[in-house]
Amino acid sequence: MSEVFVQVLDWIAVLCLLAGALLTLVAGIGLIRFPDLLSRMHTAAKPQVLGLLLVLVGLAIRLVPVETNVFNAGTLALVGLFQIVTIPVGGHIAARVGYRSGRIQQDLLVHDALADRLAEKERAQEAERQEEEQARERAEHQEGRAQEAERTEQ
Amino acid sequence: MKKQTPPRSIRALGLRRRLGKIQLPVALGMTLVWMMLFDGFRLRPESLGLLVLGFLVSVAIMLVFPLPPIKPGFRFWPVRGVWMIVYIAWKMFVASFQVTAQVFTPGTVHSSVISVKQRTGSDLMLVCTAIVTTVIPGSVIVEVGQTERELFVHVLGADTDEKVRRAEQDVRALEELLVRGLGTRADIAELEEALASGEGRV
Repeated sequence: MSEVFVQVLDWIAVLCLLAGALLTLVAGIGLIRFPDLLSRMHTAAKPQVLGLLLVLVGLAIRLVPVETNVFNAGTLALVGLFQIVTIPVGGHIAARVGYRSGRIQQDLLVHDALADRLAEKERAQEAERQEEEQARERAEHQEGRAQEAERTEQ
Repeated sequence: MKKQTPPRSIRALGLRRRLGKIQLPVALGMTLVWMMLFDGFRLRPESLGLLVLGFLVSVAIMLVFPLPPIKPGFRFWPVRGVWMIVYIAWKMFVASFQVTAQVFTPGTVHSSVISVKQRTGSDLMLVCTAIVTTVIPGSVIVEVGQTERELFVHVLGADTDEKVRRAEQDVRALEELLVRGLGTRADIAELEEALASGEGRV
């Protein structure tokens, strides 16, 4: 490879690495600045995805001309792929647990479709439970009457 | 007393059932990961050995930890698939800057939790849409209603009805893109039906 070409590659790699580092910095600032769990999740998981990908691309560009035995572009691609596939899983669990245990600030939410849905579900469950209870009471009542009738017969 | 062992035929049946759990495409995918891990694509004397070893390891993993097959699976449509990847990368890029801007705007940032109904019945498509929605900055999946095929998405900075509607459209566009790029023929037919009946439009 010619000198110039290698230099251009070097510069692209440097830019990618710097941009990735900057995005991670933004993620850190956002983490401090946002008040509640759900907004923080955005910054924790997000600019980081692109930041990490940029850092990986930068590394890959630097690695291609140099032969190493430990890392290669394939390893880096795997790192990126598994990050993208697994970050949402962890994020979803954190958001779900945070939401269900009430650790969010409702006043920051303008629309909340999930709260309505959960309330609806709860009402349905409550109605079901009451119905069951009534049915059980009725059954007990009848049983009691039957026993009483038996006793009077005796 | 003699210890009771299951008769031979039953054991053979169990083994066969376990062997039947091996899914060839998944095994090939795992072999690919193995090859990438050990730099097997650079031609060396040990490349072939790596390939065989990787395949054996993936078969062994599937024998020890059998998993149900992914149904109905997916297929990669080359043109739509590449377009899908480019679009997602572009969205990620743009949305990263939006989130950065939101981080540096003073004042509290209000958000919304929206619900988006999916138009296809495939679990795999639901999972893919959820993953891509979360990977794109500005939206996080809070809850997945699997039976109702509904995603609950927390959208950062959506404080007006207009923005909520736009976020909803974005998720729907993503779903359409994913189904057209990765869905089976049945998925695509289902999506088109929903689009034609007008149910899919917001």
